[in-house]
Amino acid sequence: MTIHLALLLLAPIAFAAIGAVAPPRAAAPLALAGTLVALAFAVALVLDFDHAQRGLQYVTDDDWIPALGIHFKLGVDGLNLWLVGLTALLFAVTAVWTLVRPQPRPRLWAFHMALAETAVLGAFLAQDLALFVFFFDLMLVPFLFLLLGWGGPDRRPATLKMMIYTLVGSLLMLAAAVATATLTAQASGGSITFVLADLAKVHLSPGTQRVIFAGFALAFLIKMPALLVHGWMPDAYRQMPMPAIAVFSAVLSKVAAYGFLRIALPLFPDATLDFQLVLMLLSVGGIIYGSAMAFTQTNLRLILGYSSLAQLAFITLGIFSLRPEGVQGSILQAVNHGLVVLPFFFIVLLASERAGGSEDIRDLGGLAFRGPVIATLALIVAFATLAIPGSANFAGEFFILLGAFKAYVVLACVAFTGVALASVYVLRAYIRTFHNRAGPRVAGGDLTWPDRFVLVPLVAAILAFGFYPQPALRDSEQAVGGNASAVLTGVRSVP
Amino acid sequence: MSLYGWLILGFPLAGTAVIALTWKRLPARAHGAIGTAAIAGAFVCSVLALLKLQSLPADQRQVVAVGWDYAKSVGVDAELTLLLDPLSIFMCLVVTGVSTLIHLYSTAYMASDKGFSRFFAYMNFFVFSMLLLVLAGNFLVLIVGWAFVGAASYLLISFYYRRTTATKAGIKAFVINVVGDIGLVLGTYFLFKHLHTLDFVKAFERTNETFTRNDGDLVAGCVLLLVGAFAKSAQVPLHTWLPDAMEGPTPVSALIHAATMVTAGVYLIARMYPLFEQAPLAADVGAVIGAATLLIAATIALVVTDLKRVIAYSTMSQIGYMIMAVSSAAYAAGMFHLLTHAFFKALLFMAAGSVISAMGGLQDLDKMGGFRKAMPFTYGCMIIGGLALAGVPPFSGLFSKDEIIALEFERGGFHAVLGVIGYLGSFMTGVYTFRMIFRAFHNEPVPEAAGLIHGHLVHHDVPVNPATGEEEDSDVGFPGPEHHIAEREPAMKVAMGALALGALGLGALQLPGVTDVVHTFLEPTFADSRFYGALEPSTSSQWIGLVVGAALALAGIGLAYRLWVKQRTAPGLLRARLAPLHAFLANKWYFDELIEVVVVRPSAWFGRFAANTFERLVVNGLLVGGTSGVVRAGSAAVRAIQSGFLRAYAALLLGGLTALALYFLISAQ
Amino acid sequence: MSTTWYLLVSAVVFCIGAGGILVRRSPLVILLCLELMLNAANLALVAFSRAQGNQDGQIFAVVVMVVAACEVAVGLGLIVAIYRRKLPVDVDELRELQG
Repeated sequence: MTIHLALLLLAPIAFAAIGAVAPPRAAAPLALAGTLVALAFAVALVLDFDHAQRGLQYVTDDDWIPALGIHFKLGVDGLNLWLVGLTALLFAVTAVWTLVRPQPRPRLWAFHMALAETAVLGAFLAQDLALFVFFFDLMLVPFLFLLLGWGGPDRRPATLKMMIYTLVGSLLMLAAAVATATLTAQASGGSITFVLADLAKVHLSPGTQRVIFAGFALAFLIKMPALLVHGWMPDAYRQMPMPAIAVFSAVLSKVAAYGFLRIALPLFPDATLDFQLVLMLLSVGGIIYGSAMAFTQTNLRLILGYSSLAQLAFITLGIFSLRPEGVQGSILQAVNHGLVVLPFFFIVLLASERAGGSEDIRDLGGLAFRGPVIATLALIVAFATLAIPGSANFAGEFFILLGAFKAYVVLACVAFTGVALASVYVLRAYIRTFHNRAGPRVAGGDLTWPDRFVLVPLVAAILAFGFYPQPALRDSEQAVGGNASAVLTGVRSVP
Repeated sequence: MSLYGWLILGFPLAGTAVIALTWKRLPARAHGAIGTAAIAGAFVCSVLALLKLQSLPADQRQVVAVGWDYAKSVGVDAELTLLLDPLSIFMCLVVTGVSTLIHLYSTAYMASDKGFSRFFAYMNFFVFSMLLLVLAGNFLVLIVGWAFVGAASYLLISFYYRRTTATKAGIKAFVINVVGDIGLVLGTYFLFKHLHTLDFVKAFERTNETFTRNDGDLVAGCVLLLVGAFAKSAQVPLHTWLPDAMEGPTPVSALIHAATMVTAGVYLIARMYPLFEQAPLAADVGAVIGAATLLIAATIALVVTDLKRVIAYSTMSQIGYMIMAVSSAAYAAGMFHLLTHAFFKALLFMAAGSVISAMGGLQDLDKMGGFRKAMPFTYGCMIIGGLALAGVPPFSGLFSKDEIIALEFERGGFHAVLGVIGYLGSFMTGVYTFRMIFRAFHNEPVPEAAGLIHGHLVHHDVPVNPATGEEEDSDVGFPGPEHHIAEREPAMKVAMGALALGALGLGALQLPGVTDVVHTFLEPTFADSRFYGALEPSTSSQWIGLVVGAALALAGIGLAYRLWVKQRTAPGLLRARLAPLHAFLANKWYFDELIEVVVVRPSAWFGRFAANTFERLVVNGLLVGGTSGVVRAGSAAVRAIQSGFLRAYAALLLGGLTALALYFLISAQ
Repeated sequence: MSTTWYLLVSAVVFCIGAGGILVRRSPLVILLCLELMLNAANLALVAFSRAQGNQDGQIFAVVVMVVAACEVAVGLGLIVAIYRRKLPVDVDELRELQG
């Protein structure tokens, strides 16, 4: 069975384009239909994927700009299979969310969300550097508009900040991508190409690699965001409309982590080794810093924002342990984090709706009494977020920290502090929202029926994945662990 | 055989699921029945598994049940495996047996509570987690069970979640338990690095060939495992959560914080005996900490005035004995004490629960007294439990505790010192146990007790938090508006009666020179141990030990009788005379303050520093300010040109054109 | 007569026009000066056309005249509009485009 990946890519945007000319009432259902088609494709992919096979599957490869050697090349392997599935699932759930909580200007909203999904899927599937850069930058566009058009009262400075930050990253990455292609062409003496597989065959000099690697790394770290370059994050998290920030936090940050695996490690093995310790230190710093910030914040969005910073730092730590265990854990954790952060944002929305619109834990409390079902589902999500053993998040962290442990024992030990701190800030947020005495303006009842369609599928996914995380590990094992792994071979062949 | 393993796990999990999914559709009473039946089912399966296991030849009594690949990739062999051997079945029997009785007790005790269904869902989940822990066949499953019991314990401690005292105690317990989890995971890493397997059976087989005696990484791994054990079993210095955990409902204290969960550390050390025997250094650490805990907890129990906390500290102290035992290779003795302790301690908590109900939720010993006549059944149970705890013949506690002490002396070396500490603990146990009983049950009846003699049980229209005196802001009362005492509830009576029989008679399992049931039963698990068969004190020395232990316990009880019944002015005088010592003990050796200064305050300071200083100055000031500063300066320069003067634009245009033309002219030549 | 002289005249006229744009503030005069510059270009085009011996330059000159006529029409229209709205007829006062 061949699945033409371009169809997966185009499904959401095509439906949204129809929705754009249809009456406004039809926009949200049409957008949902588009995401469901994509989800069906993605599920078929996951089920059909041959985990024993090495290399890319379902490859789509067409010339796009022949003069520059740019191909429209898409493909699936162990690195992106589950991330594609995650993206499709989360966008589908977000479409349901939009259906139960209609947004103003529904056609435009649906179009932006669909564009975002197409761009994210494109970035995950792209096997051509220029195509990746294109999609990577494209996915920012709808979010800037969503922030500017639907955001909170202080959205303008937030948009400006975010735009400046991410544009700096994007420009650096564009320059780095062009440099990679031209210098590779120079070094090999062949014609210019942007296809990743071809680029990986040529070995650039370590000095060149370092410079280019730095460009890519900075772009990815800003997008995550990582410690020190997270200046745009608090404002954007506070101002972005809730469904947008949920999907942003759940999916877009993963593209950055994935970028390291797909581009930085295979293409620049020498530089990866040179920067390994720096990035691991940055990650450990991010884990501690993000966790410490998360337990001092009182705004639930910011608690989630800083906890994401810490979680993404875990993922980076795993990647740069440069051990198969660490990388496996990172891929698993990327999926897990997406699965927990989106429902968590939805729960924040539900809580704030029952507390007069406040997202501050000082105004919340005691929701569990009137909303036992919400409280129970939130408890499952909260426990998964703090990576309690038995959740897939723990399996991910177990692998990540095992990789880090094998690389640098001390760093792994310090990183474990983040695990303890995570339990503090997650439980603090949970208790101050659902337990203790009711806040001054807290009112309202339990989970409504329409809201179940958003929350229950995700909680079910979390539980199922907790019982059985093996498929994700099995599917990515060939890409990570084998002798000809897509990720670590280059790094390993460098002594 | 492996089917029984899955069934033991399946019953409580199914119980949780059924209660959770039908919480609105079925009446609450039904959920109590479902929860109790599920645990009883697990108990029946455990018995069947026991019979099946005993029918196998001794060297084959180790069955591994493989479920499915959990996280098996790149060399990590984490499957969902269960290990059924005498040790795990022994634990299953203790856990499910005591749990069934406590569930039965709870159906009556919690009957008027609004959270009745939730309570049973949590309790069943706890039992499931505990069984997962003891049945785990590899490190990962062990860690999962380990963390799940922590989560269940958190949920049950914060059961009255409207009380800030309860949620604070819950988060404290959870975080300290997470520290323990981390110890366990890190310890696993140290071992996995060399053993290349997570599977218990394989790991233990490889231990002796992989590690030399006291190998650095092995000792590090074992000490980290001990951190996990200490956190869960409330050993010094990770014990501070246990007294606070008494915020939970009393059946929870009986089940989790006395009979089962807190003994997980004992089980862990016993399970890992091949590692600890190869790393005697780590084992010695465990033994010393166990001894220290038994002493420290006993001294604190002498002065605490909260009824449940006295029992909590006595639990810590008794677990200190067990940890000391299994760390000194007295495995059977440690497990035997675990068994007897589960019975008499659950019994004590249940009796205490009955008293607390009679007091309308108050737990303060200072306000109690004279319940002997009002609650004869509870009093009888309390006496049986107390005598078993103190170690008076013929009650079970004496035999198990003194077997530990005898083995410590047999081991020799510094273990003899631990044995002496054990005897010291026996004496103090007698004092604090009967201090509690005399103060609650003897002397003049307090109004509540006097009322109860005339048939008036305390009743509250508005429930209050006994810890703070705050009114509850909703109807999640403690324990509901009606209170339930054993004298009026047959279910509570049955549960307490069964436990009392166990506390009375279980000593018969291990009478020195007569019976040796536990030791023989566990032998297949410890077949490879260097000490299990070898460490065998003579029957006569054991009997001498029993006599000494009993004498010390009786002396302690006598002292308590003198101080709190005969000359009741004496304690006040003693307290005045030894004021600094009393303050030191009443403040629990200042462990909470120490942790506050060493851990909590620095973390809070770092959090504040990150939020107020670093984020503002470096991230927003330097980085955001820097980037936006560059952009702003650049745009200011560009903006300056846009003056709006038409003629200026024209001049620029002309100037530019001229410059270009000149450039081409010059470069053309 | 060599082309140089024509070009010289063209250059002088062009410079007068350019100078006028820079120094005068009345939009009307600026339009006239623009006309001067365009006609200077026309002169150069016709001169080159003659020197080359083909008609391309002359055609271009005609195109330029058409453009100039359109430009004058629009320009005068704008000036009239400014006058009608009682705005100052002075390019230095009309500076809403300032960034």
